[in-house]
Amino acid sequence: MKQRQPRQNYLGAGGWVWAGKYKLERYLYLLHRVTGLGLLLFGIIHLIMTTFFRIQGQDVWESTIAVLHNPVFKVGAYMVVVAFVFHALNGLRLILQEFGFTLGRPIPPVYPYKDALRKKRPWAVIIIAVVGILAVVFLYDFISGGW
Amino acid sequence: MTESSTKQIAFKVQRYDPEQGGAPHWQQFTVPSSRGTTVLDGLIYIKENLDSTLAFRTSCRMGICGSCGMLINSYPHLACHTQIEEFHSNTLTVRPLPNLSIIKDLVVDLTPMFHNHKSIKPYILRQDAQEMRTPTSEFAQIPQELNDFLQFAYCIKCGICVSACPTSASDRLFLGPQALAQCYRYCADNRDEGQQERLRVADTNHGAWHCHLAGACSEACPKGVDPALAIQLLKRRLASQALGLRGKRQASSVVSPPTQTKPKIPFPEFTVKGSA
Amino acid sequence: MRTTRFHLLHILAGVLIAVLLGIHMVRLHLDAILEFFGVDSEDPTSWTSMIDRASQGIWAALYIALLAVALYHALYGLRGIILELTPSAKAGRVVTWSFIIIGIVVFGWSAYVPLHLLSS
Repeated sequence: MKQRQPRQNYLGAGGWVWAGKYKLERYLYLLHRVTGLGLLLFGIIHLIMTTFFRIQGQDVWESTIAVLHNPVFKVGAYMVVVAFVFHALNGLRLILQEFGFTLGRPIPPVYPYKDALRKKRPWAVIIIAVVGILAVVFLYDFISGGW
Repeated sequence: MTESSTKQIAFKVQRYDPEQGGAPHWQQFTVPSSRGTTVLDGLIYIKENLDSTLAFRTSCRMGICGSCGMLINSYPHLACHTQIEEFHSNTLTVRPLPNLSIIKDLVVDLTPMFHNHKSIKPYILRQDAQEMRTPTSEFAQIPQELNDFLQFAYCIKCGICVSACPTSASDRLFLGPQALAQCYRYCADNRDEGQQERLRVADTNHGAWHCHLAGACSEACPKGVDPALAIQLLKRRLASQALGLRGKRQASSVVSPPTQTKPKIPFPEFTVKGSA
Repeated sequence: MRTTRFHLLHILAGVLIAVLLGIHMVRLHLDAILEFFGVDSEDPTSWTSMIDRASQGIWAALYIALLAVALYHALYGLRGIILELTPSAKAGRVVTWSFIIIGIVVFGWSAYVPLHLLSS
């Protein structure tokens, strides 16, 4: 009988987004990745602006700034600020937790099992709440004319 | 005692036969279930009464061997450990564990996971090779030292954490939460002296640093092993080593068996006299 | 321990970005909030304001420092994501070296600009 190869069953990059009904921390990981990539994209555009356009003199600079006063770009700038705040605060949470600092000690498992991340979930929720509050504060700034 | 009612549950099972080729497809069965019927009971009912070609792994049927891991209603469970009643639904979807290749129907290929497990040297390593080959004494270990790693020693190698991990979904070379948690379990064992060797395996491009603390492995683990905690503690060891912070820890001492024993109690008389 | 050291640098860079980029964001975008605290300034994106900052050494230093840590953090992160999708160690080495070269080139050009504006 010919030996058949087992069929590949990997979720691939789609598995980062959806692999089943998981809880908060997995989606924080996904959001951290998405905001990171978004900030990277913004960073590339921003670098081009502040190098090529800045060095070409006043006219090029002022016409670029004039384009950026368009409401679409202002909304984009606000989203960049919120993305940065989320990425930074979640990053600080990750730094602490990835070195095991706020996760507590290993305990012999007694049913129903509560793993370290779920026990410390209140901290993750607090961070999301802080991001939410800052998003509202920056929204005030954004609406009142600054950009 | 009230009679528990028997419901008819629809089992949607993913079928795949490599000898017939083609893509995986669904097949629906109707299984009677009452209070206490597990998903594994349902699958055995299907195999015995409806379709004997259904392939799945099972052994202990009590949640300790790790054979029957599968995706039930989009979440990885041990089938023997999962009551049909807990889903409060008349339809159940059963699929093989993702991120592991399918051999047939619900049977997946666990070889990559075992290969990764072997690569982190899941055994006690000590400098004294002679003692390891022909042991003459015990290694001293107090209960507090045991508790430092005992939780991670409960792993039954079912593969559910590997299926839950988002990194394992795309990265074929990733060691996986099971291997990394066991790497920490052995490094944290005070009887072990092999931390240097193991950290070298975890320190690679597809080692511990590709874990991004999604926490899905600990969430899905059916034995409460909490591999995520083990991996983060492993990262702490890696960082201490890289920064040169960790002092040399004394491995456990060797304790000879006691020479003074209590006086032997005489074997009691048989209460039932043997037939002559 | 090489991989661990690069990863620790990535984390350190992240913390530094949080500080430097925070300063940058507050100065550039949040002038309404700064006014609330009493710091009064004209539109920070105007040409005069920008040239004024470009002639101060402290801002040039901040921009170059921010550029270095942000480039390292972003490129290391993106390389990690791409390595999770590459199937072999050899492809991984190609990816790593391309990122190193791109990083050096981009840093070289982007650090030149504030220095040029500082001296002009």
